[in-house]
Amino acid sequence: MTTRPPMIEFQDVHKYYGDYHALRGITATIRAGEFFSLLGPSGCGKTTLLRTIAGFEGISSGAVMIDGKHMAHVPANKRPTNMVFQSYAIFPHLSVAENVGFGLRRDPRSAAEKIRAVDEALEMVGLKGYGNRAAHALSGGQRQRVALARALILKPKVLLLDEPLSALDKKMREQMQVELIKLQRQVGITFVLVTHDQEEALVMSDRIAVMFEGEIAQLDDPETLYRRPNSRRVADFIGVMNFLPAKVTGESNGHISIEAGGLGQVDIEAAQAPGKISGGEAWVGFRPETLTILYEGQTAMDRETPGTVEEVVYYGDMTYYDVRLDGVDRPVRISMRNVFGRPVLDIGTRTRVAWSPGALVLFR
Amino acid sequence: MPLCAFRARTVTKKGEPMALGSRWDRLTRSEAFNGYVLVSPTAIYAILMLAAPLATIVAYSFFKDGYLTIIREFTLENYITTWTDPVFRAVMLRSLMVSAMVTAATVLLAFPIAYYVSFHVPASRKARWLFLITIPFWTSYLIRVFLWKVILGYNGVINSGLMNLGLIDEPLTFILYNVNSIVLTLAHAYAPFAILPIFVALEKIDRALLEAGQDLGESRLMTFWRVTLPLAMPGVVAAVLIVFIPTIGDYVTPQLIGGGKIPMVANLIQARMLDLDNKPMGSAIAVSAMAIVTLVSLIFLFMNRRFLRGQR
Amino acid sequence: MKFPALRAYALFYLLFLYAPILLLPIFAFNDGTIIAFPLKDFTTKWFEQMFTTPALAQAVKNSLIIAVSSSILATTLGIFAARASTRFAFPGKAGIVGLIMLPLVLPEIIVAVSLLVVLLGLGIKLTTFTVILGHVLICTPYAIAILNTAFSSLDRSLEEAAYDLGETKWSTFRLITLPLVMPGIISSVLISFTISLDEFIIAFFLAGSEPTLPTYIFSQLRFPKQIPMIMALGTVLVLMSVILLTIAEYFRRRGIAKTGGTDTGGFL
Repeated sequence: MTTRPPMIEFQDVHKYYGDYHALRGITATIRAGEFFSLLGPSGCGKTTLLRTIAGFEGISSGAVMIDGKHMAHVPANKRPTNMVFQSYAIFPHLSVAENVGFGLRRDPRSAAEKIRAVDEALEMVGLKGYGNRAAHALSGGQRQRVALARALILKPKVLLLDEPLSALDKKMREQMQVELIKLQRQVGITFVLVTHDQEEALVMSDRIAVMFEGEIAQLDDPETLYRRPNSRRVADFIGVMNFLPAKVTGESNGHISIEAGGLGQVDIEAAQAPGKISGGEAWVGFRPETLTILYEGQTAMDRETPGTVEEVVYYGDMTYYDVRLDGVDRPVRISMRNVFGRPVLDIGTRTRVAWSPGALVLFR
Repeated sequence: MPLCAFRARTVTKKGEPMALGSRWDRLTRSEAFNGYVLVSPTAIYAILMLAAPLATIVAYSFFKDGYLTIIREFTLENYITTWTDPVFRAVMLRSLMVSAMVTAATVLLAFPIAYYVSFHVPASRKARWLFLITIPFWTSYLIRVFLWKVILGYNGVINSGLMNLGLIDEPLTFILYNVNSIVLTLAHAYAPFAILPIFVALEKIDRALLEAGQDLGESRLMTFWRVTLPLAMPGVVAAVLIVFIPTIGDYVTPQLIGGGKIPMVANLIQARMLDLDNKPMGSAIAVSAMAIVTLVSLIFLFMNRRFLRGQR
Repeated sequence: MKFPALRAYALFYLLFLYAPILLLPIFAFNDGTIIAFPLKDFTTKWFEQMFTTPALAQAVKNSLIIAVSSSILATTLGIFAARASTRFAFPGKAGIVGLIMLPLVLPEIIVAVSLLVVLLGLGIKLTTFTVILGHVLICTPYAIAILNTAFSSLDRSLEEAAYDLGETKWSTFRLITLPLVMPGIISSVLISFTISLDEFIIAFFLAGSEPTLPTYIFSQLRFPKQIPMIMALGTVLVLMSVILLTIAEYFRRRGIAKTGGTDTGGFL
């Protein structure tokens, strides 16, 4: 990715509600044109952080800059940002067109031009011809689109989205995810999305900030975040990860030697320990899909460990197995794609599992 | 998360570097400041027109009555006179008794209605039932009270109707100008005040709780007794207070229905204040009555505290 | 219906509630000065008599002035308080709101007496104005109860959205908040109007020599000759109340439908 200029900068932002420390020193940069997500469990401060960008929340100390300008004395109605609310906040007493054109009231353009702008905005979100409908007669997905059109018509520098998909059902949500990505590419505006759904963040974002308890735990692109989480907590929040206790036995130019709980001695690259480990007790983690159950006649490319199937969960396209590997004191989860002609194993089956040291991540 | 995010309050912790403007700026932006500014017109009105006058009658009750003037000199005489006055004691006791009877009658009659509307009326028709119940309440109170006199009177609807039908030869006299007729009239007047709080409490009950009660082996009746009734108690308590307190101060009904022969405390206050123009004495009676009502209400609340726990 | 007894009781109870109101028109059209059965001939003369009684006209005029002023003032004060209590947290809120709502449970005689003592003490002459002072006090809690529902069913993010789209705080209030709570405001005005029009004790104590409709009725109830006309007057008042309340209920429900809430019913 080419480096774009910064659009939003947080400089050591703190926020207190009385004695409650909601934001604890947020320092981060969101780049222009980026699809950026704030991801975390409820109560982590992600919505608060979003609302400091919009100007709905003041901050206790630090600075928020948008496009190089300090926002401390700029109220929400004067900021170059617009928001899509979790409840969509569609004005129930106005028509769809009046909702979309709401922000144009102070626009000096002529009435005819404004009408054209509203029509264009509606077309952009796939609601052409819906202008005269009453707002309260819309479905959830349509409300979402009206909220998008209403915010984008003002051509903000930043579009803020507060859990915009959480009220939709699964099918609709997946459809809107794709549409939002397309829309963002089309308009080129910086999008900042708040979500608690890690899958949604991975699918949509250029970069993701994972937040816990008012702090950013990790800020990376989705692939790095998934493959090289920098802490057990991040690893656990995003996707599924197996953890085994490990011991660091040696370090030498770019390599770390570890004793991985029952799997034996392994050498990994220093990059596989993004959490900056230095000797002693540690944990190794690996994703379920980096393990493979070997069927008859198959051999491992790298390492191979025998084990016993303890639990089988069938998902249709996938099957999850909990396998107790010989010498390991806890079962590990393995996900296998269900390929035609390959039987689902029964509980108690003895099997062999292939794995690779290159897929391990080392944590403190 | 929205919970904390919505409680906006620009409070800066002591010793933190200030990033946001001046003190005044932060003050005017603070939630508390805006709240006070907004509530102040109404609050000031209530303080001037309610709190100050109430304080005044409390003060008056400790002053001496000169003829046509008030002597600003502290005295307990008004209270001593009031509390040793057999008329006051009789009237106060009667007021408490009548109010208690009215409250009991109103709440007992209202509960089945609230229960019926909440549990047996389809959701779409509930609002219509509530509307029907509240309408009589909004029509002229005086005329409604007077019509009970017409219904219950010597030549009233009941008597003339029964005599026409030949069921009685002489008009029944026990139905008017007595405590029973006062109770009936007031129970009618305060019906919606009892129904609505009970209805609201019943509506809040999760219907799954009742199914759970029966699922756990209780009969319908026992489920009502062990689940529905305790959960409805906050509404019943509210209904009791909301009926009891204003009825004790009712003036019209004893005057019209009681024929002025069975005064209650409001009539006594009116007589002392206006007819005798003894303001300190009237104030002492009013303050005493308020104190008694408050005391009775607090005792009642205390007795029912276990039902109110955990309620917002 | 699983409980026919309960339903029968409910209907019987409604009859009890409506009995006085149903009798009202019967005697209003009855050509007899004694309010009793059997009925005499049908007549409308009691209604005609209403229009030729100057004292009644004066009472109606006073009552209308009082009711209109009180309902507008109470609703205005109610808007401030309801907005503050649904939207802002501030220390002492429960106490302040408690004081404002106190007239709801305070016997009216106490309100009337204490106001009277203060007004006389200050040497203020008792007129319709002093009645308005008292009526605003007792109508405001009802106004707040209605307006609280209207304000709290208003999604806060609607206002934030308007602000976010470039409106100022004031224009947001004008363009979004006010239109959405308007049904609540209308029903608050109508309810306050109805309460004020019907209020007796405060008017009895604070009106001085100015009659209001209820104090006029009260004074006439002593004269048996006047009672048929009072029945006619009552019929008109009941009809008016029902019409006003139906309008208030319509606006209240429309307000709920508009903001997308569900109906929890009832005025109180």
